[in-house]
Amino acid sequence: MSFSLINAIRKLNISTVSQIRLISSGSTDVSNINSHSNSDLNVTQKEWKFPPQFTKPREVWIENLDSIDEKKLGLFELHPLVYAVLPRIDIIHRNVIWQRKFRWVSWAHTKTRAEVHGGGRKPWPQKGLGRARHGSIRSPLWRGGGIVHGPRSGKTHFFMLPFHLRIHGLTSTLSAKFAQDDLHVVRNLELPTEDPEYLAELIEKRNWGPSVLIVDDNDYAPRNITVATENLPHVNIIPFYGLNVYSMLKHDTLIITQTAAERIEEKILQHLHSNTMPQQAKFKLNQV
Amino acid sequence: MGSRQITEKSLAMLRSLPRLSLGNIRDNPGSRKNIKRGRGQHGGDKHGAGNKGSGQRQNYMRLGYETGNNPFYLRMPHEHYYKGHHHRRQYPPISLLEIQKLIDTNRLDITKPIDIASIVRSGLYNFFPDQKHFGIHLTDEGMDIFSAKVNIEVQWASEQVIAAIEKNGGVITTAYYDPHSLILLKNPKSFFQTGQAIPRRMIPPPDVIEYYTSAEMRGYLADPEKISEERLRLSQKYGYQLPILESDKNYNMLCERKDPRQIFYGLEPGWVINLRDKCILKPKDEELLQFYAS
Amino acid sequence: MATVWRSQCAFARFFVGKTGRILNNAADLGIKLTPESISVSTTRSYSNYSHSPLVKKIKEQYDFEIEKNPPEWAYVERLLPLEIIPPVQPKETYPSGWIPPKEEAKDLPYFMPRTKNHELPIYLVITHKGQRKVSMLRKIEGDIWLMNDLIKEHLQKNFNRYIETRVHELGRFIEVKGDFVNSLREWAYSKGF
Repeated sequence: MSFSLINAIRKLNISTVSQIRLISSGSTDVSNINSHSNSDLNVTQKEWKFPPQFTKPREVWIENLDSIDEKKLGLFELHPLVYAVLPRIDIIHRNVIWQRKFRWVSWAHTKTRAEVHGGGRKPWPQKGLGRARHGSIRSPLWRGGGIVHGPRSGKTHFFMLPFHLRIHGLTSTLSAKFAQDDLHVVRNLELPTEDPEYLAELIEKRNWGPSVLIVDDNDYAPRNITVATENLPHVNIIPFYGLNVYSMLKHDTLIITQTAAERIEEKILQHLHSNTMPQQAKFKLNQV
Repeated sequence: MGSRQITEKSLAMLRSLPRLSLGNIRDNPGSRKNIKRGRGQHGGDKHGAGNKGSGQRQNYMRLGYETGNNPFYLRMPHEHYYKGHHHRRQYPPISLLEIQKLIDTNRLDITKPIDIASIVRSGLYNFFPDQKHFGIHLTDEGMDIFSAKVNIEVQWASEQVIAAIEKNGGVITTAYYDPHSLILLKNPKSFFQTGQAIPRRMIPPPDVIEYYTSAEMRGYLADPEKISEERLRLSQKYGYQLPILESDKNYNMLCERKDPRQIFYGLEPGWVINLRDKCILKPKDEELLQFYAS
Repeated sequence: MATVWRSQCAFARFFVGKTGRILNNAADLGIKLTPESISVSTTRSYSNYSHSPLVKKIKEQYDFEIEKNPPEWAYVERLLPLEIIPPVQPKETYPSGWIPPKEEAKDLPYFMPRTKNHELPIYLVITHKGQRKVSMLRKIEGDIWLMNDLIKEHLQKNFNRYIETRVHELGRFIEVKGDFVNSLREWAYSKGF
């Protein structure tokens, strides 16, 4: 962080302690939560496959999409190695650049002196005329001549960012979204109507950003939500395997279903704790 | 506790900063250099080729030429002792200390016999059969601290290593694998996915067949009686009590050896493994059975 | 010389010239290689793929049986790669000298988790042809500045000279100028990391 930014934060008088509610995973003070009027709250102790060490797991409310007013249906714990990672802005940037470039094919095309029409004959004799010597009228020196090192059609810009950088990009954006209160976990995607107005009103009322990205567990979603999101261009629904840094940054709010959040966590933790040489070796460039 | 924790501090900082979006992210300063185009004062004019001469006219001398004197790459004459070094077999080493570490950190299962496939599977050892690597050479670093009862199969081992393993009640064998078998052992999953039948392992070449038939080196083609004699001899040489294997409860596992024509434990040559449907196709035809059993 | 025949089945390939002998892996085609099996005349060699005639499918196959859920499947599973690196199981002694992390380390204000291979993330970085040696402590969590002070104190006591360090908060590492890897590892083990 730059010096001026730290000074600006100091002037705002924001204390870094009071804003974080860090509830440890071993706490059993369910009494606070049960005092709410909602009776079907469940706070189950999560079994961690890779128990969090040192950094505390994050807790998030499970919300609903049934009504426009938000109702808290329970508490859910998120693994710190996925949702509470020090957000690396430079790695996020590299991921965004990679996503933009690796599929891009540049179709710009220019003709070389061989491809430009004409220019086979020597325009005038070598000596005698007092003019400059030339071999063809389409040499790069001439107006209308071929381009020497110009763009050639179908130029691919494919490259692969290292595997761990891509994982780190995902965890950084998820952590950043969570820290900025732009991540909401939802029990399921059941809407009462297929009217897109309902969804728009819900987003407006709950103060979620204008654009919303909904992440589901699998490819099939309930009919109501698919019809509603189809008619709203700024609200999009994707399966969990389609999660990427660019989409997460483009949409202001991120809504994840409970099962999708678990699956994302599981997958990322598996990649962080396994031998990833085969995945990396696939795109490793041979340096001869 | 709160404000000095780095992760908590950064996440808390983010809470009071504008929303992270495509418009306010950037790379680390100094990580990208601007591409030098060949126009103008810098990058242009002579385009880095200098003035006149072979440098600017791209008419260079051949690589290694030193303008007439005897070039460096031709000064050294051939020495006979390294003739054919690139044709010789190589055995990339792994020490007993590393094996002990793999066992300690639960990456190698001692309750089953260990061979190259399981060591490569643990993830910390790699070899390249196409670069004339013919298997594992078990080195003696860590032979004093080694204390695990294992049934291990390597390609090259010295006397002290054999003594270290047998002292702890284990069994060591040296076996030969031809390059094709080694490629299979390195990545069995991709081989099974090709749908080919498991081939037979070839017999060792003439110059190394003596090594694999000798009991001193615990070769896989050696006489079992001679091997037990050698075990006694080693125990007397290095001064330890020879553990009786028959009374061991893992006796069956320790005795498990591969057939000279077998590549994988438990899977015979000629079988086709179907990973998707979890079934094995075994040949019934006499001609095939005879071929694979030979 | 081996000639490639075109077949109606895209993946069948035959080698002519050695029909009598079964090559090591030829049997996995599942097709018996007898002189009559190849139903194209062997007198003419077809070097042109597009002008060579199609080969008819061979009906004779080797006899085989399919065994579902065989008892040898355990051996197959032993060969397949591991999904995740197996977690460490506690043992009485570790003869190789590997020291497991302790639970008490999590109570300290700073922390250094093990790498995914259960090793300490302390490395020696050598650059400039061996002239520049830097000991790097990675993956630090918690109060990094406090850890920096403690490390400097520990090294100064042991080596009796000024210790230059670099703290990188964003990268979560501390670089110590010089080769102090062994001493730092001992310190980390003493803290229980």
